[in-house]
Amino acid sequence: MMNYIGEHLLAGRMGNVFVIFSFACALLASISYFFASKEQLENNSWRKIARISFRLHSISVIGIVSVLFYMLLNHYFEYEYVWHHSSKAMPLRYIFSCFWEGQEGSFLLWTFWQVVLGNILIRISKEWEAPVMTTISLVQAFLASMLLGLYIFGAKIGSNPFTVLLRETPDFANIPLFKNPNYLEKLDGRGLNPLLQNYWMTIHPPTLFLGFALTVVPFAYAIAGLWKEKFSEWQKPALPWAFVGIMILGTGILMGGAWAYEALSFGGFWAWDPVENSSLVPWLTLVGAAHVMLIHKHNGQSLVATFFLTFITFILILYSTFLTRSGILGETSVHAFTDLGMSGQLLIYLFFFLFLSLFLLIFKWKKLPKQLEEEAIWSREFWMFLGALVLLISSFHIMFNTSLPVWNKLFNLKMAPPANVIEYYNSWQIPFAFLVTIFIGGGQFLKYKNTDVKEFWKKITLAVVLSIVLATFVAVGLQLKNSFYCLLLFSSFFAIIANADYLVRILKGKIKNGGASVAHVGFGLILLGALISTSKKEIISVNTSGKDIESLDKQLSNSKNILLTSEDTLQMGKYYVTYKGKEKIGINIYFNIEYFTKNDSGKYHYEFTLKPLVQINQRMGNIAEPDTRHFLTKDVYTHVTFADLETIEEKTAEGGEYAQSKNNVISVGDTIYSSNSMIILNSLDTHIDRKQYNLSDSDIAVGANFTAFDMNKKKYSVQPVYVIRKGIIDPIEATIADLGLKFMFWKINPEKGNVEISVSEKKSNAKDFIVMEAIVFPYINVLWTGCIVMIIGTLLALWQRVKR
Amino acid sequence: MKRIHIIGIIIIAIAIGAIMTTLSSSSTYASFKEAVKNPDDQFHVVGKLDKNKETVYNPQVDPNLFVFYMVDNEGTEKKVLLHKSKPQDFEHSEQIVIIGKCNDNGFEADDILMKCPSKYNDGKPRETVNK
Repeated sequence: MMNYIGEHLLAGRMGNVFVIFSFACALLASISYFFASKEQLENNSWRKIARISFRLHSISVIGIVSVLFYMLLNHYFEYEYVWHHSSKAMPLRYIFSCFWEGQEGSFLLWTFWQVVLGNILIRISKEWEAPVMTTISLVQAFLASMLLGLYIFGAKIGSNPFTVLLRETPDFANIPLFKNPNYLEKLDGRGLNPLLQNYWMTIHPPTLFLGFALTVVPFAYAIAGLWKEKFSEWQKPALPWAFVGIMILGTGILMGGAWAYEALSFGGFWAWDPVENSSLVPWLTLVGAAHVMLIHKHNGQSLVATFFLTFITFILILYSTFLTRSGILGETSVHAFTDLGMSGQLLIYLFFFLFLSLFLLIFKWKKLPKQLEEEAIWSREFWMFLGALVLLISSFHIMFNTSLPVWNKLFNLKMAPPANVIEYYNSWQIPFAFLVTIFIGGGQFLKYKNTDVKEFWKKITLAVVLSIVLATFVAVGLQLKNSFYCLLLFSSFFAIIANADYLVRILKGKIKNGGASVAHVGFGLILLGALISTSKKEIISVNTSGKDIESLDKQLSNSKNILLTSEDTLQMGKYYVTYKGKEKIGINIYFNIEYFTKNDSGKYHYEFTLKPLVQINQRMGNIAEPDTRHFLTKDVYTHVTFADLETIEEKTAEGGEYAQSKNNVISVGDTIYSSNSMIILNSLDTHIDRKQYNLSDSDIAVGANFTAFDMNKKKYSVQPVYVIRKGIIDPIEATIADLGLKFMFWKINPEKGNVEISVSEKKSNAKDFIVMEAIVFPYINVLWTGCIVMIIGTLLALWQRVKR
Repeated sequence: MKRIHIIGIIIIAIAIGAIMTTLSSSSTYASFKEAVKNPDDQFHVVGKLDKNKETVYNPQVDPNLFVFYMVDNEGTEKKVLLHKSKPQDFEHSEQIVIIGKCNDNGFEADDILMKCPSKYNDGKPRETVNK
């Protein structure tokens, strides 16, 4: 046993004590709340124990968080988690990102939010405290167990950031570095993934995990309602929580979209990636749940649906957790967590709460008040219910497809996602979105219970007519041809206009009471912006110069990228784009790309400069980050997909005029590529003008006839000659001066039927270049405006609900 | 029949439809062998880059063509023509998934997924130079 120098094992021990304590206290809190729920509210001794346990649990969680932060701040690289997720060089502002980059940290973030929610509930939930907190404490116990890091009968329970020392990690145990007792002196962390080193990583995960955490509150209320047979009463306190959840989870998801759009190279804000999907789906069902709760509040119907949708929301959160953390998504997702070997534990977590809710529903089924009469067709609740069903079926479709890797594993299949994932999802989700927006628009003008049909049509006509006019106008203006897109265009306008109309004419502009209408306008705007910006996005960097003669007959399915040589100007859409060279600032290489427009007199007018970058990271790989210019009506997105990262000075530092030659073994008809041209070997020619080269009749001479095409398809001819003069190989070089190319024909392999020709290029040929992609997204600001409007609307609705 | 039953039937029909289209429009993880046999079908092929063979990317000629050789999980090697720019840090990839069809030229891929995150060769603890 070696005595290592400078290790801070005390911190880990403390952290570990907090971990064990947090688990034990959560479990104790759950058990005592369970018994407390069976006793009177006054003098409830079980409740006292439960409250103390939950407080202790809260303190432990805060303790865990503090110790982990302390370890990260002080670079305790002896701990695998700290080594894995941080490094000395990393700026302090990314400390939060390091904290929740790993599975353990993100579980902690989730646990932390539920601690906050639990403490709020203890204060405000009154008679619901015991039954609701039973479930929440139990969920906390499950989450706390994810950090335990114990092995029981060979099964791994949790992954503990405090007990896993770097030198004990199986992969690294035999590294010579750890033979040195003073290894810490020389150790630096692996560092944070460069993709995650931006402010989005600081704000997106906490928002998303708060959204995840919030779904547990309606779930716990629903369980309590079934268990205590207060089948309707649980909804009154649960409904505001559902709305907070909708708002926060929605914001978190949209932040993820904004991140992908701004900083990652997705080329859009939504890619139907499995990880995106698995947070969207619970949001859809939560929206459904909140709406059926509204129905139930007004007419006492749809009780089973309230339970079902509330349960399924939380179950889907657990299922998403399983998908993203068990490693099962494997190849299908770009940003799932790495597998920590906890899939079994995650499955137990999922199935425990799935079966708990199922069994409760089955046991209490007979006692559930059943719906006696049908809702009238012309009632708000009927269409709201249909809307919730559409959301459910839309979730089902997304989830079924996202779960392909699960089906593969279960049934031993080899299915892969559809070749064009985005198109596939859109083909189903656009009709669903159409239905939902129609319901959103029409629903507001319907009354609960029953509506006078004539009155309804009279009121709604304005919105219908206006949206048809606007949709037609926009569809023609944008040349929108796909009929589904046109339908959704109409229905989104309808949702926006009908709700705005309702706000103005029916609510008389009393915005306080119009939270729902405002939120619905926001939702409509989101869909409208998404529809226009994605369906009419224009890749302006398509290769129009047609410089490659040979590959033109090939099917080029996605020629999105274009080559831009330094100081050259190419037309892209309405812009003229010039690459002005690159500059290195710190670890980033910025590419200066200037956009111009041309006015009627043919003069260039400078518009703006974009600076997409490549971040150099030798340990984790380079990361390219796009740059986007925002206008009111459109965004111009520019992404460098390939670039030579060396500078010209580095390249031409030494040697003569020509770079080192490159040998080519070719036959007649083959093509050689140089940096500025393509060169075809047309024929071999023995009829050489011998006088010109001063050759005798006994010498051997073969010319290679080349045709070269430069970028502008200009044609050049050149003939290097292979010569054996008096038995000695003595080739005659030939050059194309304009292209800076030198050819030497130096070998013939008659048995193979090919020849060897070396080509060298002038160093000055090596012009700096980039390969880039440029996309114009029209009206994407409509989408972001919609997000903000929806958040404001939900806040208003919430405010009204809490005030009542 | 109550209205709720009709709605139920419609919902079930849509759900079955969703399952069927997912199954029918999904591609398949396959080996090169299978992809060669069915040149009309789209496949996902998982494999590794053959690091001994040259990769060709001539943006001057075609910025949307990158050629490399890949060995699939069964050990078959094939030329891959990726119709995209050369991905960042391609050489570091541990595992690649290419999506496309096979023809006489080789495997014509429209898209590529690479797995490289935490498992870089350099992902091991190492000594720092600066002190």
